[in-house]
This record gives sequence, C-alpha cells and structure tokens, in this order.
Amino acid sequence: MGKASFVIRRSLQLVATFWAVGTVLFFLFRLMPGNPTSFVISPQMTPEARQRIIESYGLDEPMHVQYVKFLENVLTLDFGQSFHSNAPVQEVIMTYLPNTLVLMLTAFVIAYFFGITLGVLSGWYRGSRFERSTVITALLARSVPSFWVGLMVLWVFGATFNVIPMAGMTSPGVEHTSFIGMITSIDFVTHLAAPALVLAYYFMGYPLLIMRSSMLEVLSEDFIDVCRAKGLSERTIMFKHAARNALLPIVTAAAIALGYAVGGSVLIETVFAWPGIGREMVRAVLRRDFPVAQGTFMVLAATIILLNFVADLAYGYLDPRVTYD
Amino acid sequence: MAEESNRVRRRSFLKATTAGGLAGMTALAGCSGGDQSGDGTEGDSAGGDSTETSGGDTTESEGSSSGSSLPTYTYVNNSQSYNPPRHDAINLIARQFNDIGMDVEVDTLEWGTLFNRVSVEYDYSFSTWHTFFTIDPVLELSSTMHSSNTGQGDGNFSGYENPDVDELLDGYMSEPDEQARVDMVHETQKILMEDVPQMPITHMPAAAIYNKNQTGNWQGELSLGFNSYWTMVNLEMKNGEDTLKGYWPETLSTMNVLGHNDENKHTYQFTVMYDTLLRLDNEGQLNPDVSLATDWNRVDETTMEYTIRTDHSWHDGEDLTAEDVAFTYNYIAENEVPLFSVQANYIEGAEVVDDSTVRINMSQALGPFNTMVATQVPIIPQHKWESRSNPSQANIQEPVGSGPLMFDYWNKGSEFGLKKFEDHFAPVSFEQRFWRIIPEASTVWELLKNGELNYEPFGRIDRSLNENQDHEAIGTVFQPATSFWHFTPNQRQDGLDDPVLRKAAVNSIPRTPIVEQILFGFPQKGFNIVSPAFGPLHTEDVTRYEESKEKARSRLEEAGYSWNDNDVLQAPSGN
Repeated sequence: MGKASFVIRRSLQLVATFWAVGTVLFFLFRLMPGNPTSFVISPQMTPEARQRIIESYGLDEPMHVQYVKFLENVLTLDFGQSFHSNAPVQEVIMTYLPNTLVLMLTAFVIAYFFGITLGVLSGWYRGSRFERSTVITALLARSVPSFWVGLMVLWVFGATFNVIPMAGMTSPGVEHTSFIGMITSIDFVTHLAAPALVLAYYFMGYPLLIMRSSMLEVLSEDFIDVCRAKGLSERTIMFKHAARNALLPIVTAAAIALGYAVGGSVLIETVFAWPGIGREMVRAVLRRDFPVAQGTFMVLAATIILLNFVADLAYGYLDPRVTYD
Repeated sequence: MAEESNRVRRRSFLKATTAGGLAGMTALAGCSGGDQSGDGTEGDSAGGDSTETSGGDTTESEGSSSGSSLPTYTYVNNSQSYNPPRHDAINLIARQFNDIGMDVEVDTLEWGTLFNRVSVEYDYSFSTWHTFFTIDPVLELSSTMHSSNTGQGDGNFSGYENPDVDELLDGYMSEPDEQARVDMVHETQKILMEDVPQMPITHMPAAAIYNKNQTGNWQGELSLGFNSYWTMVNLEMKNGEDTLKGYWPETLSTMNVLGHNDENKHTYQFTVMYDTLLRLDNEGQLNPDVSLATDWNRVDETTMEYTIRTDHSWHDGEDLTAEDVAFTYNYIAENEVPLFSVQANYIEGAEVVDDSTVRINMSQALGPFNTMVATQVPIIPQHKWESRSNPSQANIQEPVGSGPLMFDYWNKGSEFGLKKFEDHFAPVSFEQRFWRIIPEASTVWELLKNGELNYEPFGRIDRSLNENQDHEAIGTVFQPATSFWHFTPNQRQDGLDDPVLRKAAVNSIPRTPIVEQILFGFPQKGFNIVSPAFGPLHTEDVTRYEESKEKARSRLEEAGYSWNDNDVLQAPSGN
C-alpha cells in the first residue's frame, strides 16, 4: 500500500473515530445523573419559568432529535451556546484554550528538551551515579502529585520568599490590548514560570525514561560498534547516531502528550489560578453544561486523534524502514 | 454544664466521623442529653457503649416488637471534597439515627446528582445542604412548604402539606398591613417547628473577613450580608488604599443582570452595578437616602407609586428617567424574565405619572411589595435593552447600569473589575474593586495577610478561618445570617410522614458537636426555620427540641414505636 492510500484510509478512520467519540460524548453526558436545569435555574423561579428555560435549551425534545441536531451542529463546527454564560461554545473555547496552550506547550518544550537530553545521557552512562540519580529524579517526578509540588512551590517561593506571584496570569488590574501583547510581557512570563516549571518537572520523567530505555536498546546494536571502529567521537555517536535512532518511541509519546496538553491540567490550573480550559471542562461537566462539555471534549479528542495520525506519518519520515502496509 | 458535657474530644470525634469510628460515636455525649456518666474521652467508648446498651435494653424489654419494620432510609451526602464539614456532619447525624434504631445508610453523591435526586426526583429520605433564604422568609417558604408546589421540581421537596400553612403563606403575601404579616409569619413558624418538615441544623453567620490595615467599617445587610450595597457604600478604606481587592473561587459566567442563575457571585456584582427602586440598610429598614426612590406610597391594595431622583444618570452618561423605571417593570413582566418570574407574577404594568413619579400596578395584591419586588428588580436602561428580544439569553459583554460601581473590565476566568461611578447619590469610598479568580483557599489566605487581597467575599466558614482569624492583619465581623444548614426528611417515604418520627430524628441531630467541632463554633445551633437574622419576622416562641437520643427514644416509645431484638425501630402496630 502506498503512502497516498494509507492517508486516505486513515482519514476515513479519523472521521469514523470522531463520529464515535462525538456519539459517546453526547449520550454519556445525557445518561449522567443530574439535570442541567438544576444549575441554570434559580430556586425562586416559578414552574412555568423553569419549563420555558428547559424548552429554550431544547432539552424537552426527544433524545434522537437532540442527537441529530447535535450532529448537524458538529458538522458546521457549531457547538451551541453555554447553558450558563449564554456565550457561544467557540467563544468559551477561544477564551480559555490559548491560556492552556501557552502554559502546556511551554512546559512541554522544557520537559521534552531536558527529558530527552537526560534520557540520552543516562542511557549512555549506564550504571553510573549520574544514571541512578536521573532515574530516581524521573521516577519522583512521575510519582509525586503535581498539585503538591505546586503548593510547595507556592508556599516556599511565593508565601515565604515572595519571589513568584501566587496566582493568575497577570498582576491585578493589568490589561493587555492583545493576547500576543500579554504573553510577551515580562509580567506574564513572571506568572508563567512557576506553573510551567512544575508541570515541566512532572512531564519530564516520561520522555526521560523512554529515551533511556530506547538508548539502551540502540546502544547494543552493531552499527554503534561500526561507528566506534570508524573513529567517530563519543559525542557524535551519542547524539548523531544513537540518539536519532532512539527517538522513534518519543514521537508517539510526544504526540499523545501534546494531544492531552490541549485538555490542560486541572490541578495545576487550580493551584496557580491559571484560567485554562481544564478547569472550564471540569466545571462544565459538574454543572451539566452540555454544550461546553461536549465542545471542549470534542476539541480534545480531535487533537489527540489528529496528532496520532501525524505521528504515524512522521514514523515513515524518521525511519525509512517503516512502511505503510 | 450541659454544654460542657456535650463537648467531644477532638480525636474521638474525628474517629467517629469516619467510617470505622463506631466505637467513638457512642461517646458522643451531645446526643444523649448530656447526662451520661462518661466524660467523652477517647478511651471512654466502653462507657458510652454501656450507656447506650442499657438504654436499648430497657426499651427492648418494655417495647412490644409487634409493629412493622420501617424501611431503610437514605441520607444523601455530598462528597468529602465538595464540602468537607457538611460531609462529616451528615455521616455523624446518620450514625446517631442508627443509634436510635433507624436503619439509615449514607449515599455519597456528586453535587449535581444529589441536588437532582432531592429537588427534582424526590428520591431520598434525608437531605442537608446550605439553604440561602432571600430577603423575606415567606418568599422561600412559599416555594418549599406550600402544598401547591409538591410536583416534581416545583420546590416543595419535603412533600409537606398543611392547609393551615398554605393559608398563612397566601395571606401573608396579600396582606398590606405589616404587623398583621408579622403575626402570620410567627404563626407559620410555630406550626412548622411543631410539624418539623425541615429543621435548621445550624444557623450560619454572615462573615466579613478582611485585611484590617486596608479596610474598615464593615456593616452587613440582611440578605446579602457583607457583600451588600449597604456594606459597599459604607466601607472605609485605610492607609491610602483606594482599591477593594477580593476573589472568588470560580469564574463569573455572565454579565447579564436578567440572565444569571441567582448565584451569589453574580448577585454580589449586580447589586452594586444596578440600582433598585428601594434599598435596605443594616437595620433591615427601607432607606431612601441610598435608594433610587426618595419616597413611596401605596395608593391602594394593588397600586404603588414611587418618587424617583431626577438628577441621576446611567454609567454611559444618559439620563436615568421615570421612563426607564416604567420600562424595566413592563419589560420584565412582558418578557416573563425567568430570574424575576416571582416578581413578574405580581406586576400588571408600570406607567409614568410625571417626570419623577412612577406608578406600578399589581396583577394581584402583594403586601410586602417593597421588600419582595422594589428592592429586588434592577432598573435597566431602556436605550440598551429595548432592542433585546430574549433578555435572559442575551450575551452581554459591557453592562451599563446606574449603581455606585460601574463596569471596568472582565478578563474571563481571571479577573473582573469595577470602578467608582462618581455621580452616584450614594458613592463608595474606594476608586475601584476587583475580584481575582483563585480556586485555592490557602493562596487566598496568604494574599489576604500580605495585602494583595483585602477582603474575602466568599465568606468561607472553615478550619482556615479558625486558624487565621487572629493574624495581625486579619479582621472579622460576624452577624446572624438568614441561611442555614437544613435537615429535611422526605415525607413521601414510609414512616417519615409521621411527625413523631421526624421529631425523634431532630432530637438525635448532634448539633453541639457539629457547631463546636466541625464548624469551630462559628454558627449557632439551629432551632427555627426563620432565622433570628430576620428580626421582627422571627419569633423565639417555637417548639425547641432537646438534643438527646434518650428523648428521641422516649418520644417514639410514647407514640407506640418499639424495637426488635436487634434494636431496630418498628412502627406502631396498625401503621
């Protein structure tokens, strides 16, 4: 099978997967116990007023009618209006998603840069004190709850030494004319540092451990001996030959991690009062705000599905031995 | 002395509130009338056991176990993470119920599920949450206690029906004479506290928690406590501070004053962004000095006239006129705005009499029109709203009101800012007010102490408050509030339609340990569905229920209940 037919086949699978995810989400939220109007409606409202609200959200219609409308809306990328804010779901997503992406991508880049580098080195220096300490660090990073690390960072560097801001993306009262203007300001970077580093610390363990074990596998292969026999320097062998060949598993891991990054980190967003999409997703689910919950989960699912697809394609580019059969 | 003996040592108490704490629970002197010999120490469980056992033995020997079994009851509980103190309190109460022979299981549910189970499906036996009463207790009681509201989701989730109460509630609403209304609401309380369809476990306080180096003169008001309009216009700033800096744990949802869902976070903003015809002061009196209307008059049973200020304007500079006021009332009635559906039910229409006078015609007589309607309906600008056909679903980004604070900015999810409206007739003393969205409580306390925040509008009553209230930078003011933790039995379930069983349950509620230990002594023990905060509307002359499991047992025994060999409560024969 050629690359073109692979892309077509996978694209069709993407559509089917996306439909399945949307359908599951639609019914899952409606099968959840709890009535969305309980959260929208003031206890003081008269029964007639309650009924009008239920009708205005289309919640009085049969399930299959709601489902067909939902599919129609998804096809036009219209996820409806939030039950709570009355704002279009796209507006809700576009308000919170960029904040999350800045935080998560910053953490992701830091984590994968240091994780991969330390993974290469620990694989290369197997059995050394350095390897043991990096492995322990990686395991700690994955084991210690990130919210606890976040709270400790706030307590030590925020409350005690007062060197980091304790909450939010910007200082109180600071307004920016544009999103780009905000994220390039010193004030924003100061607020970004602590949550991004805490998240990076948590993320870092995964690429580090994968890279290390992948390196160990590659280092046992014959071509490494050939490289040495050719008289190449250790650094060249380590980074140019061994590390490049060990990168393949990282691509899959990174694609999935990037996908999940779109969902944000509820705990970190909560601890650092970061206005991200993760908190908004949880809030929407807890309040049965179906349109926002569906919209945000659909975006998350779409990102993961697409990035997996991209990872599949990248395999062939990174390793010509991979075929599309 | 009784109070002292009711106290439970903390360790044994905590043990009791966990699943494995059965032994510790029997040491809860607070639920056995305070007359047990044990002193409630941790090692005293044997003493507690023996007290309970002997009581049970006595009852068993005297009671006939020929009655029918009562069903297993379900006490729905919120999760520990949602509200830790209430979760512990419900577990504690359920265990006390088991101690008097009721078969009670606790079902812990996610909040949305719980609320729906109770308020819509009526699928529960006992429920508890924090009830917020509004400006007039009868408004709430008409929803929760009137027999016309027992349909699904209509408000009367206890299933209580009493024609006498219906008549009193209806009479109160239409009675124009204030003293007659007071008498009616007193009578209503007496009946309700005798029938116990609902019982307050604790009367929660309104709390002003603030940085005392930056703010002062916190005066609360009846319905919105220390987040009220009255509080804001009387607040004093200190040491050159000109910004009131607050927080809220979750983001605001909307800037639509007619389209929010009555959550406090929105009400606290809109109450200072929009004027209402009348305002209450901290004595609960209508105060023309801080109101849009400087005078008012009941023309007849169904007609009110208000004299409004003619020198006031909207935040965008347009004049606020009598036409705006009449438009507001007509608009809410014509559009059947759900948020104000109760008020809209009483509004026939409004008309402008002259430049300073507005007449409001009621569709049916409403005695407390001023408190239930004139203090509640926000006056909105005609030039902004007349083109909006679906007001409750309008997506508004920059609201225009006429209150003492005007919209400044809204960084969604992060921060919401208001600034002083210089031309207001009751100006605030600060230049701006912002709320940051900070979900983490420990962060809030650090910011309060270091002055980055200077007030705590959420009013958390919890361990953190207990630990931080004595800090040199923290000031607190407490006053009775209208809200309470309610205990509500579902009368649709077998046995719970019997007032005797409900009263016995109330006798068993361990209010002392809940107040003293779970809530660190901040609230008062609950005793009346109409809180003392309501002033003249409240009466002390209601049936009081002793906090005693022995009293509960003797009450049941006198009514013909019995216990089987396993000490399980049996309904009276013939029931």
